[in-house]
Amino acid sequence: MKCARCLLQLQCLTLVGQSARPAAQYGTLLQSASSSQLNVLHKTQHQVLRRFHGSPACAKSRPVRAEVINEDNKKGDGSLVTYDNLFEQVTKEAQTKATFIKVVNVFLKRDVRRRGHVEFIYAALKKMPEFGVERDLEVYNKLLDIFPKEVFVPVNFVQRMFNHYPRQQECGVQILEQMENYGIMPNIETKVLLVQIFGLKGHPMRKYQRIMYWFPKFKHINPFPIPQQLPEDPVDLARLSLTRIANDRDAKVIVYQLPCTDITESGEEVTLPHVIGIQSPSQMELLAKHNPSKPVFVEGPFPLWLRKTCVYYYILRADPTPPEEKIEEPYDPERCFFYPLQLDLDLDRDMGEEESFDVEDLDEGPVFAMCMTSRGDEATLNQWISGLQQNNPILGQVPTLFRLDAGPKELQGAADSESGHDHHQRPDPETQREERQTEKEIVEEELQRRSRGMKQ
Amino acid sequence: MSLPTITRLPSARLLSSLLLHHQHHLLLPSIAPLTVPTRLIHAEYRRPGKPKENLWQKINIDFSKGMKGIKKNFTLLKNEFFDRWVGPEGKPILEHMLEQNRVVWEFRGPESLEHWTLSSDREVGGQSEVYLKLGKNSNTCFLYGTLNCTPPRDGETRYSGYCTMRSKQPLASFDRKKHHDWSSFNTLHLRVRGDGRPWMINLATETYFSHQKDDIYSYFLYTRGGPYWQDVKIPFSKFFLAYRGRIHDTQHPLWVDKVNTIGFTLGDKANGPFQLEIDFIGVCKDYAHTEECAYEMYKRNPEV
Repeated sequence: MKCARCLLQLQCLTLVGQSARPAAQYGTLLQSASSSQLNVLHKTQHQVLRRFHGSPACAKSRPVRAEVINEDNKKGDGSLVTYDNLFEQVTKEAQTKATFIKVVNVFLKRDVRRRGHVEFIYAALKKMPEFGVERDLEVYNKLLDIFPKEVFVPVNFVQRMFNHYPRQQECGVQILEQMENYGIMPNIETKVLLVQIFGLKGHPMRKYQRIMYWFPKFKHINPFPIPQQLPEDPVDLARLSLTRIANDRDAKVIVYQLPCTDITESGEEVTLPHVIGIQSPSQMELLAKHNPSKPVFVEGPFPLWLRKTCVYYYILRADPTPPEEKIEEPYDPERCFFYPLQLDLDLDRDMGEEESFDVEDLDEGPVFAMCMTSRGDEATLNQWISGLQQNNPILGQVPTLFRLDAGPKELQGAADSESGHDHHQRPDPETQREERQTEKEIVEEELQRRSRGMKQ
Repeated sequence: MSLPTITRLPSARLLSSLLLHHQHHLLLPSIAPLTVPTRLIHAEYRRPGKPKENLWQKINIDFSKGMKGIKKNFTLLKNEFFDRWVGPEGKPILEHMLEQNRVVWEFRGPESLEHWTLSSDREVGGQSEVYLKLGKNSNTCFLYGTLNCTPPRDGETRYSGYCTMRSKQPLASFDRKKHHDWSSFNTLHLRVRGDGRPWMINLATETYFSHQKDDIYSYFLYTRGGPYWQDVKIPFSKFFLAYRGRIHDTQHPLWVDKVNTIGFTLGDKANGPFQLEIDFIGVCKDYAHTEECAYEMYKRNPEV
């Protein structure tokens, strides 16, 4: 029923278009009385030609650039037409939406019968990411508009039974598939075009119906949505990603250092990396309870993907407390007056089974804070730790170890090549060695302590 | 003189060819179910230009292997026989009826990784890599690698870039198929830690016809990223039926009692390293959830 309504609308549109066209012509005639007559002739000629299988959507806008058309005609003559050429000629200019649409218009002007439109559409689909128009619904509709209208619509039952104009239908499906791959939902204009081109029950129409059924179902399915346009500023990006991974409304983002470029007295340029950290009250509580004789570790970099960009973060954590040191805290009975927090019931298996898991209690040990920085060396991270120390005085007593070579190695290697804005530097081998040495020393110290404890 | 020889020759040849053909047919079914059950029915995907493999080279005839097989299969048979006397699936009936959670896959040592198979688009000529290892405390599984979306230059493949981990089909004694029976549960429960990339969970169920073997029920697994674990509960009713990446027009509820494999697929078109850590994969019963299938089944979509 909807389709029928669309068609009705469409017919009205065509009627309006037809009635409007002569008026427009007169208008142009009147206007161009002052301008050159040639141009007018050219235009009217074109409109007369285009009435053959023309669509209302196309008749609306038609920028004319005579020089471009002439150029292409010259080059296209006498050789096998490859439609990539059309795009590659334009690539010398700017690759924008305007130029892309210009190329499509050039193709439309070439031939009334749109000869070779399937090949042209395939070439255009391939070039879309280059021009940065792969997420533009208008451009897809423009591509669909290239198909001649009402030629491929089956008229009798034999045509309807068999695959009518299979190449063209495949091409139409391919356009829709590319839209699907980029997650673009077609609109009513797409539907009208498809009905005009392939009829109500063609394969492209089916594809359109499938997209329209499934896309709204899966539209808001991501429980952790990421904005389509990530913030350009690395500080904002770090803020976004840290609040994402912290998963705590109470967590506070603290900017320890903003990125800035200083020129020292000797004339050297010093770029200071940004250091942004996040810590929630529960993490502060955990850190306050931490046994000061045990070291805490700064680890990283760990990758985090936000759509197609990868950022890296560092964490401050400790080793898990061994089970003999864990203190079971008794529930405060006054914490909740409405229902008891502790029940001592003797129920059968499964009824009293724990169904909830404590997310913060990691097997690898508690996480105390997280940070992101553009430079992952020890000096920068030290700045973070000293910043943390203001709110967590215990960090002054606890030995802090840097384990920056932790984690899978291939992640680090990719860090340099992958992220455009996040120039992560590998820690120097010397500092690594030092770290290891300090680690060893501390381990030895610990061993000594333990042995002393045993003696005592 | 010449006529009978002429007539005889073709007949003899025909007979021999028939015999050969017959032998082939006789041999295949007797060996096929024991060694490679699915291969012979349906050929695996073969890349264009790749030579055909000789199946017979893969078959390894070894006495010790045979003994191992006998031992394994007979212990399985014994267990199957005696477990019945205890209750369904070797559990007492009360436990079976009251069960609300069941951990199906967990990772406690290197032998638990053998229940999984890895695959990536290497099989179609891509360049992605995927590896599996135990996590830091060796009680989780750590799936990592790099995704590369460059399609192979064979002129046929249009898209590329996926990495998959899939569990192996459970087998009863003598390599008979066994299925996971989760009919008393309605939710899939996972505990994962990812890096922010979206994954897809695929449940493959037993199918009636062999052409349905690629019919897979899928749903999305979104990871948050970061150092914290994430509990994911996905009702079985949410899984939608798809065939080789295309969603079926007619949807069916998942056959919960005939689940063969579970798989995790990454294909988000972002080139680069990825990681996913899985603590356990289980099923649970959510009493608040009563939905049978989340998608319309009363009409075909799109309507014909």
